[in-house]
This record gives sequence, C-alpha cells and structure tokens, in this order.
Amino acid sequence: MAPADPFTLDLTWTQVSPRLAAARLTVAAFWLVPLLVGAVLPPLLSGIAWLWVLPAVVVLLMVWLLWLVPRQVGALRYAERDDDLLIRRGIMFRSLVVVPYGRMQFVDVKAGPIDRAMGIARVQLHTASTSSDAWIAGLPPAEAARLRERLASRGEARLAGL
Amino acid sequence: MSVPQPAPVRPEDLGEDGYAWRRMHPVTPLLKGWKTVAAILIIVSTQLTDDIRRSAHLLGGRGWLLALGGFGVIAVLAVAWAFVSWRVTRYAVTDEAVHLRQGIVFRQQRQARLDRLQAIDVVQPLLARFVGLSELRLEVAGGSGSRVSLAFLRESEADALRAELLALAAGLHRPGGAAARAANGPSAGLGGAPSMTGPGVTGARAPEGGGFGSPAGPGATAWSPAALPAGVPASGGSPATVPASAASPAGFPASGASVAGAAADVASPTASDAAFASTSGAAVAPSAGQVPTYTGATTAPATVGRRGVVTGSAFAPAPENLVYELPMPRLLGSIVRSGGSVWFVLFIVAIVVMIGFGAPFEAIYSLVPMAFALVSFFWQRINGAATFRAATSPDGIRLRHGLTETRSQTLPPGRVQAVRLHQPLLWRGKDWWRVEVNVAGYAGDRDKQGTETVLHPVATRDEALLALWLVLPDLGADDPRAAVQAGLVGTGDDGGYTAAPRRSRWVDPVGWRRHGVLVTRRALLLRSGRFWRRLDVVPHERTQSLALEQGPLQRQLDVASLAVHSTHGPVSPRIEHLDTAVAVALLQEQAERARHARREAVPEQWMRAQ
Repeated sequence: MAPADPFTLDLTWTQVSPRLAAARLTVAAFWLVPLLVGAVLPPLLSGIAWLWVLPAVVVLLMVWLLWLVPRQVGALRYAERDDDLLIRRGIMFRSLVVVPYGRMQFVDVKAGPIDRAMGIARVQLHTASTSSDAWIAGLPPAEAARLRERLASRGEARLAGL
Repeated sequence: MSVPQPAPVRPEDLGEDGYAWRRMHPVTPLLKGWKTVAAILIIVSTQLTDDIRRSAHLLGGRGWLLALGGFGVIAVLAVAWAFVSWRVTRYAVTDEAVHLRQGIVFRQQRQARLDRLQAIDVVQPLLARFVGLSELRLEVAGGSGSRVSLAFLRESEADALRAELLALAAGLHRPGGAAARAANGPSAGLGGAPSMTGPGVTGARAPEGGGFGSPAGPGATAWSPAALPAGVPASGGSPATVPASAASPAGFPASGASVAGAAADVASPTASDAAFASTSGAAVAPSAGQVPTYTGATTAPATVGRRGVVTGSAFAPAPENLVYELPMPRLLGSIVRSGGSVWFVLFIVAIVVMIGFGAPFEAIYSLVPMAFALVSFFWQRINGAATFRAATSPDGIRLRHGLTETRSQTLPPGRVQAVRLHQPLLWRGKDWWRVEVNVAGYAGDRDKQGTETVLHPVATRDEALLALWLVLPDLGADDPRAAVQAGLVGTGDDGGYTAAPRRSRWVDPVGWRRHGVLVTRRALLLRSGRFWRRLDVVPHERTQSLALEQGPLQRQLDVASLAVHSTHGPVSPRIEHLDTAVAVALLQEQAERARHARREAVPEQWMRAQ
C-alpha cells in the first residue's frame, strides 16, 4: 500500500454524491452525442475509410470521460472542522482549500435543471478574496441546506472583519 | 379642528429627516459637464469631419455655423444634465455612515458604514485643482463600484470632511449626533477646524503603535529601519533613537495651531493611549516633548479621554509626519530602467533600420501608434508617481502623489491586507524596489495604472523596509531587518527561511533557490524570484483562506505549492515547491495562527478603547 496521502490531514472526509458524475456525464453527452453524429456522417456518406478516424476520436473521448469523471467526482471531498471547512479535489492536479468560517462573506447554493433532476446541488463559499476557489458540487439538497445553515451559523459565531 | 394632512412621503426621504443633507459644490456640473463636451468634440472631430465638410459644402457657407450651433446645443444639454444631476445629488454624514443620494431617472441612495471604511482618497483632477475643488472617495470593501464618491467639494471642506470621517470611523464620537452635524456644516467645519482638535492629539499613536493592536514582541524595538527620519515618532519602533523633543515640533505642524485655539475642547485619549502603549511592547511617546503642547489634554479627565469623546464641534485634521518622498531624478531613472524604455530603444532601432533600408514613408508612419503608446506609457508612469510622499498620522498612512491629477490617500491602520516588495530586473543594479499593497477597498475599482495600490513606486532598500514598517510596525521577528533582507535578496535558508528542497530544481531550475517561506509571530513572509525578486508579506490575521496545490510532476518530487488568498489586488501571495510534509504542516499551522491572530486583531474602529 502506498504511503498515507499527506493531503488527507488525518481527517474524515465526506465524499460527494456519485450522482454528480452522472450529471456531469449528461452535460458532456449533450455536446458529445451530436458531435459523434456529425463525425459519423462524412465517412458514411463519402465512403472514404480513413474518415472513420473522426468518430473514433470522439468515441475515445467519450470513453476517457466515462473513466475520468467518476474518478474526479470520487476525489472531490470535504471535511468540516471546528473552525474551518476543507475541500479537496483533483487527482492529477490536486488541491486542498482551507476556508475559515469566520472569513466567509456569503454562501451560494445553486442547482441547474440537470442538477435538480439528479437531486444534487452546489455550494459555493465566498470570502473577501476572489482567489478563494471554494465550492462543493454534488451535494444532496438536504446536505447542501444543512451545510449552508452550518456555515452561516458558524460564520456568525466566528465573524471577523476583513 | 383640522388634522394636518400628512405630506406625501417620498421613499428616499424615509427615516432621514434628522440627517443634514448637503449638496456638492455648485461648480460641479461644469467640471463634470466639460468631460462630456470634450468627448463629443473629440468624436466629432475625428469621426465626422468628412461628413461635416460634405454637408457644409451642401449647405453652403453657413454649414459651419450650423455645426457649431449643434455642438453648442449638445454642450448646453450636457451641462444642463450635469446641473440637474447635481441638484439631486446630496450627501449626509451621521455617526455611523455616509449617505449619498443621486440619480435623475434611477434614484440611488447609498449608505456606507464608517466602521467598514477601508480607505479615504481625496482626488484632484487638474481642472478641479485650478478652481480649488476636490473629490472625496470613500472606499468600502464591496467589490467593484462600491465606492462612495463625493464630487466635488471645496478643498478645505473635503479635508475637513475627511478628518471628520476618519475620526468617526476610528470610533471617536461627535457630541449631539446629527443635530450637531447640522450646525457643523461645511462652512462651520471649515472655520472651526483650526480651533478644534480631534484624534490628531494622539499624534504619538501613529499607525505604528496601533497598527495591529496586539502585544508586540521584543522584536519591535529592533525593527525601525536606520533610515527613519528624525521627525517620525516611532512608537512601535525605536523611541530610544528618536529624541522625544525632536518628534514634537517637527512632526506635528498642525498641533500648535489647533490647541492654541481651543484648549478646552481638547480631550486627548491619553488614557487609552497609555494603555495602547503598554501593549505595544515598546515605550511609546506620549512623550515629554508633546504633552506640554496639548495643555487641554493633560487637564481632561481620563474617562473622557478613554472614550475619545471630542467635545468640540469638528475634528481637526490629524497631524502628519513625513516618512519618505520620491525624488524626481530617481523616478525618471526608474522609468529609464523599465520595460518601456527597452521598447523605446527597439522602436528607435526599428526607425533607423527602416530609414537605412529606404523604407517608404508609409511604413515608418505606421509606427506612429506605437510612439503614442510609448509616450502615454511614460507619461502615466511619471504622472502617477511624481511627487510621491508618504506620511504617518493617527488616522493611518497618508500617501500623496500625482502631477496633474493629485491624489491623497489615507489608509487607516489594519486596512492593508498584504504587501509585496518586488524588483524588476533592470532595477537590480540600483537596488530599487517597488512596494505594493492589497487594500480591500481598492478591489475592482483600481484605475488603469494601479497607482492606488502603490505604497512606494521606487524605493531604496532602506525605504522599502521603511514602507513595510509603515504597514507592519511589528513584524514579529526577533531581527525583523535581517528577516526582510534575507527575504529580499537571500537564497536557501538564509535568515531562517524554509526553502524549497534541492529536488525542486527539476521543476524550477532557475528560481528554486529563492523559493522560501518564513513564519514570524505576526506575519508570513514568502520569498521568490531569481531575476524578478519578490517578497510577499501577509499578516496572519489578514489571511482569507489557504490552498495547497500539487501537480503531477510536483507529486513525483514530493513537493507542493501553498497559496495564501488575499483580497483582490496586486499581491497574490504564493510559495512554490515546498516539501510536501512542510507545506502541509505550514497549511495547518497557518490556519491555526490566522485564527488566533484574528481574535487579537485591531478592532475595525481603531481608536475605540476596548
């Protein structure tokens, strides 16, 4: 077994819902399927054999996404501590963000049509810094609401200025 | 018996009867209107010349008159619009907030809380300067377009208002609240200003002492740079080296006048001053040299002093102490050694070569836009930074600069979120540094040149240290000078820095020796840049959030990068390629330290006794 991942910080991390992967793949399908159709047509109509490379590339891309997206979603985790929220994501390019509750200026909960159909929502944390890129996608609505409430109450208790 | 019919209530009047609404200066519409006129004139002259000429031809000799008349009508309309907008623009100041009402079609009322004040700028465009007007800008941390701009006010009025707003924002109180406000209108404030005194009395407590509020370590005494001018009352720095008597007369030109006028009005927060002093570790200077000047202060009851209640009707401008100035030759030298002059040389070479090869005139003519760009670049650099001077005052740091448009900024204590000292390649020989800061209020509203966020455009090494000391009087290091020096020019583990490991040369072969980080009791120092040297300083309590990042190559080398998120601005602190274990530990500790430091941070109202 590989040595313990230093990015875990010995915390218990919560994974987001795997339905996020389904949602992301659905979005990808919206443009990949028409692309595939568009790529199949030229070789089909012209009969030139090497043009089948085009749909092959699209299919490869789809397979790659089918493999990648669930892994990415699996890597998206968060942990709540007494004073801050930690968000971890990425496999190749990993990142770990620590956002103190007291630094939170406001919290967004968003859900698009596909998200709603899948029953997930996205929570975004805003600090006074534009570079704090802290969001958690793929939360079940109840969990998103709970998190929002918790962040709001924690933020109030630990409120600091700028 | 007749019941008085209630007057129709306009929404914008609700609950504001007590406010003393004031108008901007009546010349404002002309100053604002001429811009529209000039813009139209430029558009007409550049875009429509041909059309006008053609139509003039059609209309005969009177065509020009027609064009002129049309332009006149537009000009009158522009000024009329500006006049109506001036009529509806009003502002009011209460103890808690500044209210601004404006808009002709879309009414807007903005209320800026004074305890959220991040900076106050007094800006004077060239034309306004000729007629003695200035614009007062209140920056609050609301992102783009959140500033409250009071344009235009009479110069003295703007200064008085700034002093008043700063005093209120600092937590000092005005007796009688809004009622007194009415009596204390612009003219009263003007006339009264010299005779009153306010937060300025506590001159000794310049931002240094109050800067970050919490107890200073023993390091505080060592920090004051050698270049410290004698006039600076270094309360957090090295009072021992500055004779107290010298600090007073040179330092506070305003104090004599203000106290002579109304000694009875003076209520110096002496008590809180002393309390403050004791926390800042170094012996602070409500020194013998100053106390006699403030006769009123010494007799004022301590309780009044602690509350900071000023019994006068206005707040005098706080006294200032010049800390550094930018000499013009150095500014010009710095521009000669900038990227712009490299382009300039290339430009000249291009012209010479083209002439040498007998290029047609049109080809050379095509370089004209570039020449314009260069000229405007140089002009902006000179205009923004010329006559740059920084001073301390109890209100915070005062920065003045500008050639045609002058700007006087005030950054109250604790408003600087992060500092960057950096050195362009060509400044290396001269050992010059540029010092920039993040201030939340300037986020999004930064002007093109970004002159608002510059703390020192071209600093010598000593001045750079001084500039850093201005915003961070207590660096929290045992030897702050050495710590910063090592950050500026050091490599490896010089000065106690934790450096990137040797293996990181595979991802950054040039700069790996410079990547380093130093944690002091009060701030995080991040060092980087081999040729473009850079040192970022973030006070612990100003950390917004933290991020650890690691790419695939970094993972192979077991290194990671740490980003410290600060508010929007020129400084984006980040340290690359630290050992993963070190970076993780730093992240953990930093989160803890930031939390701890926030608890002890200076209150938003920096003069309110706690």
